[in-house]
Amino acid sequence: MLSDISLGRYYKADSLLHRTDPRIKTILYLVYLVVIFIVKTPATIGVLAGVIAVQLVMGKVRPSVIWKTVKPVLPLSLFILILNLITIRQGNTVFQWKFVTVTDYGISRAVLMAIRLVFLILSTSIMLTLTTTPLKISDALESLFSPLKIIKVPVHEMAMMMSIALRFIPTLIEETDKIMKAQVSRGADYDTGTFLNRLKGYITVLIPLFVSSFRRAEELAVAMDARCYRGGDGRTKLNPLRLNATDLLVGMFLFVCAAGLVVMDLTLR
Amino acid sequence: MEKISVQNVTFTYGSEGADVSAPAEPALENISLEIEKGSYTAILGANGSGKSTLAKLIDIIEVPDSGRIVVFGNDTSDDSLFWQIREKSACVFQNPDNQIVGTIVEEDVAFGPENLGIKLPELRERVDQAMKDVGIYELRLREASGLSGGQKQKLAIAGALAMRPEVLILDEATAMLDPRSRDEFLAIAEDMRLKKGLTLITITHDMSEAMRCGKIIILSKGTKAAEGTPAKIFAETDLEKYGLRRPVSFRFAYEIARLAGKTLTEEDLTGGARLREKLVKILSDPSLKGDPDLQENAAADETAPAKRKIMSVKDLFSSYDGGRSFAVKNVNLDVYEGEILGIVGESGCGKTTLISHMNSIIKPASGEIEIYPEEGVTLYCSRKKDVQRIRQTVGLVFQYPEYQLFEETVYKDICYGLRKMDLSAEEQKDRAVKAARSVGLDKDVLRRNPFELSGGQKRRAAIAGVLAMRPKILVLDEPASGLDPAGREEMFALIKSLRISGTTIVLVSHNMDEAAAYCDRICCIRDGEIKAAETPEDLFGNKEKVAQIGIDLPKITKFADSLKEDIRKILPGVDFGTPLFDPEEEARHVYMAVLKARLKDVK
Repeated sequence: MLSDISLGRYYKADSLLHRTDPRIKTILYLVYLVVIFIVKTPATIGVLAGVIAVQLVMGKVRPSVIWKTVKPVLPLSLFILILNLITIRQGNTVFQWKFVTVTDYGISRAVLMAIRLVFLILSTSIMLTLTTTPLKISDALESLFSPLKIIKVPVHEMAMMMSIALRFIPTLIEETDKIMKAQVSRGADYDTGTFLNRLKGYITVLIPLFVSSFRRAEELAVAMDARCYRGGDGRTKLNPLRLNATDLLVGMFLFVCAAGLVVMDLTLR
Repeated sequence: MEKISVQNVTFTYGSEGADVSAPAEPALENISLEIEKGSYTAILGANGSGKSTLAKLIDIIEVPDSGRIVVFGNDTSDDSLFWQIREKSACVFQNPDNQIVGTIVEEDVAFGPENLGIKLPELRERVDQAMKDVGIYELRLREASGLSGGQKQKLAIAGALAMRPEVLILDEATAMLDPRSRDEFLAIAEDMRLKKGLTLITITHDMSEAMRCGKIIILSKGTKAAEGTPAKIFAETDLEKYGLRRPVSFRFAYEIARLAGKTLTEEDLTGGARLREKLVKILSDPSLKGDPDLQENAAADETAPAKRKIMSVKDLFSSYDGGRSFAVKNVNLDVYEGEILGIVGESGCGKTTLISHMNSIIKPASGEIEIYPEEGVTLYCSRKKDVQRIRQTVGLVFQYPEYQLFEETVYKDICYGLRKMDLSAEEQKDRAVKAARSVGLDKDVLRRNPFELSGGQKRRAAIAGVLAMRPKILVLDEPASGLDPAGREEMFALIKSLRISGTTIVLVSHNMDEAAAYCDRICCIRDGEIKAAETPEDLFGNKEKVAQIGIDLPKITKFADSLKEDIRKILPGVDFGTPLFDPEEEARHVYMAVLKARLKDVK
């Protein structure tokens, strides 16, 4: 049921982006986050779509995987679209029916917001989750934030927690699926009924899921203890992060693209 | 000689914490034992006897309240030796998912040595070596969560070996594996012990696994109940008292000895060949006598199952990826009312997929399942309006159902399905109480929170929740997994009693001995296809077919077959008939056959 969601999952491939230093990818991710929320004009959005497409090609991500990544956020995207359509009253009215008013400004705004959300998911996936293993992401964050260690921020611990959380996403999805199937076989129905009833239905899924997450957490803590985990001090790395020329080139290229987009957008406004 | 020495250790969970108001029972009480370096030791005991706690103390994950533990000369109470001791031991736990830290196989193997601060290139060399030792080097760049259960446990053992430990503790590490993965896993661990001088400690419920060890230690309620070589333990200890059983071949041998009025000694149990020799000697003794009630026993066993078809799987194909590959291929299978049908096969062969179809949780790619709840009524899994009735007719209990409890009382949890059926409050209550009684839960358990119950009780509560819906067919996925031998027997007794009360049972298992002993028919699945569906006698009696399908014989059959061969050498006229699969019944059966053949000889 839930197994075809690929949001937050690593996609195994050997591509330029997979090999790129995760620190570069993290920085680029933040840069594109800003770019996605700055650009407004249709032309720049078009070019931005092109750049994201180039990134997808650089990551050798199959179209089916892209679709699976985007699919789960489409309902939310649609919801935002409709919400913006009917709530924005500025601009010229194009369509009116009873108390629903849709304006031209509302349309452009709604479409922009919906597109942004999709771009956001795509960009997060291609820069981080799809092409970078959780351990690499946490390595990158640990390395990028390491200066904060001086002021006693537990950088290593936070990075470790994050990577474990990501590592357990597929496991918990599988578990949720099992629980839902067991309840469906006892007559549960998550797809019909009032919104409130459906919500109640999900609570009966969440309880066993939480209970088993705590059990898993406990067992994992014991397993980590047994493998001599004692925090970040003195830990070595099997694949330590090393910047090389290709990483820098990829970084420069995508950074220049981002800067170009912003400049283009500002001049077109 | 260097050893692990546990001296007068007592340990209570939570004794350091704030919860002083309710002093818990000690998990271990004044226990003393020794494990020699390089030895192979099994720790046995019922669920909750303190086995895992002992392992945690040796790996210094917990420290004793009183007493001493010395691991190869290092005292665990000496704080300065803490890491030195922990680095010497490595553990593999039961649930593969809950011990994998890294996303990618090699990242996970490296986790331990990274913690030890091993530097490159040694780190890389250790990780590669460990992956090669257990045979997962080809998988090194794969995502760990996508591996099979057996592969995940191999990954766990590689992660342990990469730390280069001196002690390897397997804490029910094989409990979730099918027989083939289990054998592979144990072979790796045993091989590492011989090659690297590892001290191997295995905690297990599987008696045949315990037989492979040099020494067995039995724990009971936190104390050491017995200790000795497998032969000594199985010859002298009253295992039933500790919730344990003898291995099936020994149960068989003891029954024959009992019938003949002979006793078996420790010496006889030291090897399969020696044991057979002894049994042949017993059976060829001229003073051998018949037992009058034997005849009855053998005859009472045959109960012909009712012939009415209750479910029919027709040309079923099932796919998880939209038709690119099939988890279940062209399956045709009939289920008859009142029978126990066993579905056996390795992990990942499609067993669970097949049973999920039976209750219409997943939709077939093509094909149909028809259910006949009563004469003249046909329900179709593909027909939407039938689905609700199908789910009430076919009850499905998944593996580890206790993990799916969610209500605040057992009663409410059992009623969950009934509420969905819109039954009256009285009807719900009546059904819930009866369902609880049928699985052996007391009335006062109904008021309790399910999370307070023991593991076995939780599972019963979960099964009661399905039974309350009064299904005509009950489908169970590995109902006995994770239970100790006594718990397994109770579970199968429960299943038999459900069948007597009229429920048709479909049972998924990878334990051939249990499937053969308890099922009327066995359906073998391999790579999503049905290879055979017949009575255990027909299936396991046909050696060519068994070899061709590639399934394992039950352990009892393996042992009994070689014994029968030995007997035929001295008693050529003997006719053993069809084999039986309950060790005691088979023993009586063989005994009778020998008696008859000898009577004929005398005439």
